[in-house]
Amino acid sequence: MKSIWKNYKTESAYDELMFSEFQSRAVSHKLCQYLNSLKKEDIDKRKIAAELAIMEMGISFTVYSDEGNIDRAWPFDIIPRIIDGKEWLIIEKGLKQRLTALNCFISDVYGEQAFIKAGKMPGEIINSSKNFRKECIGVKPRHNVWANICGSDLVRDKDGIMYVLEDNLRVPSGVSYMMENRVITKRVFPELLQDIHILPIDDYPTHLHDMLLSIAPHQNGQVTCVVLTPGIYNSAYFEHAYLAQQIGAKLVEGSDLVVNDDDCVYMRTIQGLEKVDVIYRRIDDDFLDPEVFRKDSTLGVRGLMRAWKAGNVALANAPGAGVADDKVVYAYVPEMIRFYLNEEPILPNVPTYLCSNKEDLAYVLEHLAELVVKPANESGGYGMLVGPHATAKEVAHFREIIQKDPRNYIAQPTLAISTAPTLCKGKLEPRHIDLRPFILQGENTYVTAGGLTRVALKKGSLIVNSSQGGGSKDTWVINMEEN
Amino acid sequence: MLSRSAERLYWLARYLERTENIARLVSVHMNLLMDLPKGVEMGWRQLILISASEQEFYEKNNVANERNITRFLLADASHTGSLFSSLSAARENIRTSRELLPDEAWEQVNEMYLFAKNNLETVVNRRQRVLFLNEILKGCQRFTGLLSGYMSHNHPYRFIILGRNIERADMTSRILDLASLLLSESRSDEMRQYETILWMNVLKALSALLMYRQQIRSRVKGDDVLNFLLLDTDLPRSVGCCIAEISLCISKLPNNIPLLLKLVELDAYVQGIDTRQTTEDQLRSILDGLQNKLGELHSQIADNWFLTATEE
Repeated sequence: MKSIWKNYKTESAYDELMFSEFQSRAVSHKLCQYLNSLKKEDIDKRKIAAELAIMEMGISFTVYSDEGNIDRAWPFDIIPRIIDGKEWLIIEKGLKQRLTALNCFISDVYGEQAFIKAGKMPGEIINSSKNFRKECIGVKPRHNVWANICGSDLVRDKDGIMYVLEDNLRVPSGVSYMMENRVITKRVFPELLQDIHILPIDDYPTHLHDMLLSIAPHQNGQVTCVVLTPGIYNSAYFEHAYLAQQIGAKLVEGSDLVVNDDDCVYMRTIQGLEKVDVIYRRIDDDFLDPEVFRKDSTLGVRGLMRAWKAGNVALANAPGAGVADDKVVYAYVPEMIRFYLNEEPILPNVPTYLCSNKEDLAYVLEHLAELVVKPANESGGYGMLVGPHATAKEVAHFREIIQKDPRNYIAQPTLAISTAPTLCKGKLEPRHIDLRPFILQGENTYVTAGGLTRVALKKGSLIVNSSQGGGSKDTWVINMEEN
Repeated sequence: MLSRSAERLYWLARYLERTENIARLVSVHMNLLMDLPKGVEMGWRQLILISASEQEFYEKNNVANERNITRFLLADASHTGSLFSSLSAARENIRTSRELLPDEAWEQVNEMYLFAKNNLETVVNRRQRVLFLNEILKGCQRFTGLLSGYMSHNHPYRFIILGRNIERADMTSRILDLASLLLSESRSDEMRQYETILWMNVLKALSALLMYRQQIRSRVKGDDVLNFLLLDTDLPRSVGCCIAEISLCISKLPNNIPLLLKLVELDAYVQGIDTRQTTEDQLRSILDGLQNKLGELHSQIADNWFLTATEE
């Protein structure tokens, strides 16, 4: 292959598009052929067009810095990532199975605790979990679903198997970027999207809206739905506004809402107070209600928990759902699937060592330089140790902090996560990627066709978070039979 | 509709209207100065007088020349009354109101902002300044057209119209402040000689020359111009028309009774203005009164509908 493919080496990791340096996978054949037919200048032009579209559409994310908040353009790589439709069917099924089991687990934790009573998990894990909210004990959300919106991170190891790396059950973000990536790709490669049948993703807002309506406290008449954002300086504000717009909901801040003596939630409008039925909240439990959680929170709504527990308002995700977001709890998901659903897990977990477990801890301390260590409750890729890439000093530091607080750490083998061709200075080079599909669960369960592919733009880096220099790609699920 | 959203849309419209008006004013003034001989009282300084920013200007600049004044009025991000500051504020308000407006509206304002940001340096050069200002004027008009064509004429839309017309009425009255100079008894003979050109430029600043000719059908005369710009109810930038638009919006918004009373009072004030044989002092006091009343109207709108006024 010529031009942009020159010197494309598929490294030791699995490459999503290329079987070898010279041969594309069947599913990516058309794309590779097409890219090959373009001159280098054409590729550059498309790249510039994409950047321009991103600027003009104002697709941005906010990065906190000392000098205030900066809106940065969304980093986007124009070369899509492809998943075979047949493989996707299995993944989709696996994700539904997983979220169903997770929701059974959360219900159980705030109810009977049968899982623990059956000896499947030490009760200590729950009692010591930062995200276990005792205020939620005994509450029964509609359909018994606590995590209505879940973003699970998937990675493919060099064996070609997709693993679930983590489940994000608190306020997972990124779905707006998934949709905007497709919009940009349509602008940049219109001819390509006509020739290849790619599963559409733009019905996500419809499913989101349906799901939110299905959890409303009353099912008769009009339902008033709002998106609750921490405000315009939040890093995901773009997404909050985008989703509110897409589902035709009002985008509210804490100060727009008030809970009255009747334990109902109202918003302040130009007509006076108007009742709210469903809140898609994008703020963490901690800040949700100063009456119950952090007293100093100005982002939330005083009395919101009262209103929720009285069944007068639905919250998505339900408070306390984050208990299953804990990376220690993650290790038990396969067991949950067997326990609650009486099924075998379709998607495997990455092998996980729990530092709270004595034998595991001894192994972890001995093999730190080979492992990835993660704190149990952080998000955004913060506070991690990537053993093989770490200095001796960093390893020593982690040895210390793990021993101080073993409950808060897990370790996993360093995966050779898969790569995809990515445009780097006019040439294609392999870069590591992951995938975040979004799963909705209310009355029904829905999975996006594909998800948000994040890419580590730095050579060799495994960190894909946009707050740490990662980018993203459009994700194509292709049905081969139809092409 | 949320009180906070109403407030943001109202300010979005005010800032965009301000952006457009500054562009319009600088552009007309530039043309005017090209028509007039050097040394006439009508210099660049007039522009900072109209915008009541003389003090701030001299804190930053020593000389009131074309270069300093245009940069101050158009590109100075640290001057809150500059075109770029207004446009930035408009963009921030629309960025935080995106769920209420068509995507294209946001893209339009964002594009215009990016254009301005990337071309700020060009405004010191006269020829490039013309291009810059044209682009801004077009951008603002595109936004207006886009909303009127794409957006339901609902409450959010009404708050935009409301903000736009209050700002517009205020700006028209400020441009007429400039005209008060034309009525000054002490004006030079040379200035009297160019009076018609000056009145024409006042009309042009409000894009009203053609409409004036169609409506008045006589030569451009001071009192006719004043009459037209203050009382006409069909010309979009006349004070009378702005007030009619404001009344229409307010009559369709909820909880509007106290405001409707206020508007009757305002309308009576404006329609009671007699522009025949007005002296400079009389005109000044009429315009001061008008600006104060518009300020009061704004406060009452805020108290009535916006979040800042609601109690915990």
